Amino acid sequence: MESIVTSVLTVLIPLYVTSFLIYVVRVVKGPTLPDRVLAVDSLGYDIAAFMVVLSILLKSPLMVVCGLSLALWIYALDIYVAKFLEAREMGG
Amino acid sequence: MIDLILVAIGLTLIAVGVFYDFIGAIGLLRLPNFFTRLHAATAGAIGGAVVPMIGAALVALGADYLGPPRFFLAGAAFASSILLMILSQAGSHAIARAAYLSGEARVEPALHDALKEREGGG
Repeated sequence: MESIVTSVLTVLIPLYVTSFLIYVVRVVKGPTLPDRVLAVDSLGYDIAAFMVVLSILLKSPLMVVCGLSLALWIYALDIYVAKFLEAREMGG
Repeated sequence: MIDLILVAIGLTLIAVGVFYDFIGAIGLLRLPNFFTRLHAATAGAIGGAVVPMIGAALVALGADYLGPPRFFLAGAAFASSILLMILSQAGSHAIARAAYLSGEARVEPALHDALKEREGGG
């Protein structure tokens, strides 16, 4: 059982990381600010999921909590930038 | 037997998630303007983040070699997948609305902008 899970995850993890690099390309290249924020937030959500998948590979449930808080922070980033774009102020 | 089924379903969900993540990343790179990239980003966020989390939770439930802390991992993974399902859509909507109203992201290759007519430019 353990060898199945470990071997399959070691195959999938590099694919995950390559798609992160493609997101980073859009973060660097994005012409407008919303493009960059969009790339950063989907990158952040996928890193949060990557942490959960990795915590199975590393056999310790500690990283799941960081994944959850990263997802919350990425959502806060979205809302702050949306507020900034519309009203030119960060909301207090 | 039930463990093998759980692990199998979980691993396929993680594989599907990795595939969606890849497609979302390529879509974000190649689509012409911001509003089409929204589709790729939200597909990448839901398929690439929520689905692997549910798959990881199932794998954690099934893989009994992890020992008792695996239930904490499965619960946190389920909770954050549900949370992500709601938050990623709300955040993308907020960014899309702000980008359109502030005029930051122009609607370039667009045949017809219905929102501009209906609201008189927002």
